Amino acid sequence: MGFRERFGKEMLLFDGAMGTQLQARGLAAGELPEIWNVTHPEVIREIQKAYVDAGCDILKTNTFGANALKFVGTGYTVPQLVRAGVENARAAANTVDREVLVALDMGPTGKLLKPYGELEFCKAYELYKEQVRAGADGADLVLIETMGDLYEIKAAVLAAKENCDLPVVVTMIFDTQGKLLTGADIETAVVTLESFGVDALGFNCGLGPKQMLPFVEKALEVSSTPIVVNPNAGLPVCVDGVTSYNVTPTEFTEDLLKIANTKGVWAVGGCCGTSPAHLQAAAVCKSVAPQSVKQKDFTAVTSYGKTVTFGEKPVLIGERINPTGKKRLKAALVSGDEAYILAEAAAQIDAGAHILDVNVGLPEIDEPAVLERTVQSLQGITDLPLQIDTSDTDAMERALRIYNGKPLINSVNGKKESMEAVFPLAKKYGGAVVCLTLDENGIPETAQGRIQIAERILKTAASYGIEKKNLIFDTLAMTISTGVQNANITLKALHYIRNTLGAHTVLGVSNISFGLPKRDHINAAFFTLAMENGLSAGIINPKSEAMMNAYYAFCALKGLDANFEAYIQNATDSAAPTAAATGDLQSAVEKGLKAEASARTKELLQTAAPLDIINTQLIPALDRVGQGFEQGTIFLPQLLMSADAAKAAFDEIKAVLQETGTPDTEKHAHKIVLATVKGDIHDIGKNIVKVLLENYGFAVLDLGKDVDPELILETARREQVKLVGLSALMTTTVVNMEKTIALLHREYPECRVMVGGAVLTQDYADRIGADFYSKDAMGTVRYAEKFFAE
Amino acid sequence: MEISEKEVLRYLGFRQHTPDENTLRFICAVESALQTEIRPKSIYGEFPLAFLSNREVKIGDKVFESEKLRRHLNGCERILVFAATLGAGADSLLRRYSATDRAKAAVAQAVLAAATESYCDEVCAEIAKKENKNGWYLRPRFSPGYGDMALTAQRDLFSLLEITKRTGIVLTQSCLMLPTKSVTAFIGLTRDAQRCDKRGCALCDNTDCAYRKEEENGIS
Repeated sequence: MGFRERFGKEMLLFDGAMGTQLQARGLAAGELPEIWNVTHPEVIREIQKAYVDAGCDILKTNTFGANALKFVGTGYTVPQLVRAGVENARAAANTVDREVLVALDMGPTGKLLKPYGELEFCKAYELYKEQVRAGADGADLVLIETMGDLYEIKAAVLAAKENCDLPVVVTMIFDTQGKLLTGADIETAVVTLESFGVDALGFNCGLGPKQMLPFVEKALEVSSTPIVVNPNAGLPVCVDGVTSYNVTPTEFTEDLLKIANTKGVWAVGGCCGTSPAHLQAAAVCKSVAPQSVKQKDFTAVTSYGKTVTFGEKPVLIGERINPTGKKRLKAALVSGDEAYILAEAAAQIDAGAHILDVNVGLPEIDEPAVLERTVQSLQGITDLPLQIDTSDTDAMERALRIYNGKPLINSVNGKKESMEAVFPLAKKYGGAVVCLTLDENGIPETAQGRIQIAERILKTAASYGIEKKNLIFDTLAMTISTGVQNANITLKALHYIRNTLGAHTVLGVSNISFGLPKRDHINAAFFTLAMENGLSAGIINPKSEAMMNAYYAFCALKGLDANFEAYIQNATDSAAPTAAATGDLQSAVEKGLKAEASARTKELLQTAAPLDIINTQLIPALDRVGQGFEQGTIFLPQLLMSADAAKAAFDEIKAVLQETGTPDTEKHAHKIVLATVKGDIHDIGKNIVKVLLENYGFAVLDLGKDVDPELILETARREQVKLVGLSALMTTTVVNMEKTIALLHREYPECRVMVGGAVLTQDYADRIGADFYSKDAMGTVRYAEKFFAE
Repeated sequence: MEISEKEVLRYLGFRQHTPDENTLRFICAVESALQTEIRPKSIYGEFPLAFLSNREVKIGDKVFESEKLRRHLNGCERILVFAATLGAGADSLLRRYSATDRAKAAVAQAVLAAATESYCDEVCAEIAKKENKNGWYLRPRFSPGYGDMALTAQRDLFSLLEITKRTGIVLTQSCLMLPTKSVTAFIGLTRDAQRCDKRGCALCDNTDCAYRKEEENGIS
């Protein structure tokens, strides 16, 4: 027998706490408990033996924190501690005749993953891989527990699945509000973990069984996967630096029994504060027969913090991050201008998109690398789920691997080759797959033909273990300008697939009008027709008023918008006056009106030369703003709004310069490197300086915050920059400013360093060897002007 | 959460000036977007306190070196270790603004800085209420990185409490906290109510700092 054979046939009992038991036996606060696997194996075995005698079926190895980050400089290695941990548990398990299982226990790394923190996803994977490789032999299952971050869970699950064949169980720590530390709710966590293909999921730590029961019930409303629950002995109480748990074995068991009796719970046990006595009492749960989990049939995708469910209301997928037919985006992708892409994302989020499509397919770039990077950056700024859109299998795999959640995968089609490439990836990494109803013979001209392909895709997907609920069919909107029946064919197939086949549907709506004037009119009408025929999700431009109007009107008409709240909100927003449309470009910049500045620039470009607009309009306006800031009549928000408005104007001008092939003025601007020094993350001051310098025509290379001295030197040298600006806000980081200055002066003597920051004074700046100290942002501009004039 | 507009404006450098209508509206819009992303969490615990020398304070089983802290805790008989954060959601929105809209990013920084302080004050007021009943008074918070206390003290501070597990705050290699809008601090408890009203900027030696508050908190 083994875990897989017993799980679901009998209620399995996990053991209880290790940490609190060790503390009671002399483990000091801050001491790493895993070291005791080697130094005090007899203590570990004694505790685990007590759990065996209490009636537990599964022992958790004492390896919770055994990752390489925590053991640097301790003289112990991870493999050594993990192997000892497994051996100890195995020894305790073997003291009785009945089968006691050993769970290789892995906890959080203690770091936040990028882009939220500093640990690379692949590095987190490597940490877990080391544990799995060391401990799988001798264990019966892998237990990934006390997890508070879905991204870290993904790294751990991948490491487990790719490096052993053991079943994988994941339990998470939720707060009293039912949220993970990274903000995900229970539904999002369940949907995401199911997509990773875990054998069981559930809860541990953080709460007692009483608080966990409602969460277990909530999880089972959405989960098709069996649930495991290991609560604490109540909520922690901290007295005199000692954390304790006060729920008695009897109370604990009373509530745990309720959990065990919940349909779909297959294993229970304990976490912090539980003792062999708790588990001995809780052993009565073993008499409960586990009941099968009801299979849920809904379609959803997730991000790290949010679930988007199909079928309730039509889902809006923003189509704008796709270079097809978009010159500016192409240029941004080729030059690596991430800011432009993120701005495009932000605009769609603000416009009301539910999911963002991400397509970076261009022949002249390294698509796998760029797609991975773009997905990574996007998930740093939004909690909308992403649709990974590529025909390059490598790019798809790399993006799926680092995606934080359950994505939409765009796309597979009826070709054998396509299904063979995409389905294994979808199965491995999880996701809902967009299925194009075309195959080796192209796009069928009849609805029937497209439906047949859909049916074939459905069958093939099933052979990979991918369910219908994770397939979303695209019946392909072909432009009506090449065939007057094209819309009808698409809609007929769509209607059948949604209503008869019972699968969800998606369309790239805008294709329908290709080649026709006033495309919005056709698009919006087609969108409404498609929604009425069962469109689950539309890939559209959420910045198009016509499309959004169609969407809100449809929802209002179909009873999908209670009290017409969304409709009215949209109507009010679009009716809002776009600021005073009377002013000229200069006043638009001074008032910080972005849309206005870009509109005025466009008008001016009809008659004036681009460089004239810069010299006679933008520079004077920005100068007045800068002076106002210096004199204390204009303040930070206004300064920045003006800068953003000017940037919008510059973007219009740049577009024209690009088209006419005029060399960009920026290339001739004087360059300055800016950075907040190592150890310091306060960058407001540095950012203000950057804005002002840019307003005055300098090209700023912004290295960000917490920057290594070496990187500053390297950049300045490579770009031949003669002026570096450093910022520090804390007394404790001025040391690093001093180090950076010394390094620059020693290695690159022709470079000057100016410094600023709240803790600095002229005297202090002199002492650390700075060439110039500025007490405010404008002082930096004046110094830079003087410096480059000389 | 109540966020003090006065504090937001101070962080934005308005000092005694009042922003125009347009700017105020802008600030309000950013603030309400942030409000939905803020998910504050805190944890605190009491530890045995001992003064080893004029620059060493033993808290729990850790020794912290700082003359400033030692002086700050003069007269204290008990000590709390405290950690609070606004959560990862606020950081995420801040990253979006930073990448796309500099004005919003700057305002968001100011709003979140004010919100962090407000939240810490809220939690500490709760603690104070409880402690006052028994005749104990809270000293202002003192954090690693203040004065002569090295940021690396964070490592020991973090080992005292289950900060990461319960609040989600992690330490980077260089001892900075993530999510960025997080605070850790020591809070001394004393029987002497008189000495507990000097706080915030009044504690700092850098008297010509641009962000320094007017001397509003009594003793300076």
